[in-house]
Amino acid sequence: MSLAFLVQNLLNPPVLLFALGLLAIFLRAKIEIPQPLPKLFAVYLLIAIGLHGGYELSQSGLTPQVLKVLGLAILMAVLVPIYAFSVLRIQLDVYNAAAVAGTYGSISAVTFITAGSFLNSIGEPYGGYMVAAMTLMESPAIVISLLLLTLSLRDKNNGPIEWKEALRESFLNPSVYLLIGALGIGVITQEKGWLAMKPLFGDLFKGMLGLFLLDMGLVAGRRLKELKKVGIFLTLFAVLIPLINACLSVALAYLFHLSKGDAFMFAILCASASYIAVPAAIRIAIPEANPSFYVTPSLGITFPFNIAIGIPLYYTIIDKLWP
Amino acid sequence: MMEKAHKIEIIIDSVHVEKVLTLLERAGATGYTLLREVIGKGAQGVRPADEITGVFRNSYIITVCSEEVAQKVVESLAPLLKRIGGLCLLSEVQRMNFT
Repeated sequence: MSLAFLVQNLLNPPVLLFALGLLAIFLRAKIEIPQPLPKLFAVYLLIAIGLHGGYELSQSGLTPQVLKVLGLAILMAVLVPIYAFSVLRIQLDVYNAAAVAGTYGSISAVTFITAGSFLNSIGEPYGGYMVAAMTLMESPAIVISLLLLTLSLRDKNNGPIEWKEALRESFLNPSVYLLIGALGIGVITQEKGWLAMKPLFGDLFKGMLGLFLLDMGLVAGRRLKELKKVGIFLTLFAVLIPLINACLSVALAYLFHLSKGDAFMFAILCASASYIAVPAAIRIAIPEANPSFYVTPSLGITFPFNIAIGIPLYYTIIDKLWP
Repeated sequence: MMEKAHKIEIIIDSVHVEKVLTLLERAGATGYTLLREVIGKGAQGVRPADEITGVFRNSYIITVCSEEVAQKVVESLAPLLKRIGGLCLLSEVQRMNFT
């Protein structure tokens, strides 16, 4: 990993605010962000990224290159939960394996945003359509994990999966709904719309990301204290699966000639795991699964790993491979 | 002034609250009080209600009804609690009749 990229990434104020939150838990500093506020920060970030992505998509249009990226995004969103589930079954029961596979098959919008912020800091561009790719990668993993669970539970006398509710939660959860909505608004209103919204959703973006990441640091720190319950298997899984996903996605990006910035954003999407949209959907669809198993590794390990090490590591690999 | 009634207290995962409220209504309960965010510790470990997904958050529901309705609520709630966990308490109380 290039030291320069590592330093460049860590010197990003929002990343440092995340570390500050994490540290506060271990030092027992009593920092608390009132609970409704992180929800507002999340809504803000989703709308901001959607509007900006939509605006850029309106500029680039739906070219074959864009369709190729979107196709690859769906492919990985389907593939990751399948192989993750097979690995997880070594140690976990079907319910927890399906829940964790769904979490890791989906993506983390905040990891994506932080990675975008890193690319901006080194002056490497990426396509606005990557936001559309991210949106497409949110939901399939939930459906795939429920299908895997249904197949594994066949002939067993267990509680039924409430498909209607599960599907609604998969495709209409707040993250997906707001992203698709804001993306659509961005595409329709084009440059004029974006310029009107920019003072709030563009200029203040990094500050809001910092506030959200401070809270995420606090929450991740509290979850890390539960690591003992999660066990060594899931702890290792939480570090190794992002690396495997990133390698696979970089190989695909290379084969399909994605640009450097797009390849990096694609890798970070595949390497990240959901800790906002999917856990809520999984909790409704698979109540038998233990939330500590699917939230703690994703939020307590994979998210900080990707933010601190993953971003510079994946970029170093891409920087070496791409001309 | 006072009359006998039955109080049901339910502590349940916040994401399943709507299901419980529907169930109360179907059993004939005419009202309820809901505290959307309560923290605590139980069979599922600590429920700190500290993050935005709501999967670590409990809700508290209280309703006062007749014995007949209370029995119906308990019977219909049992399979749900068996699957998703939670707590249901039933007690005899004195309710003030001010009508």
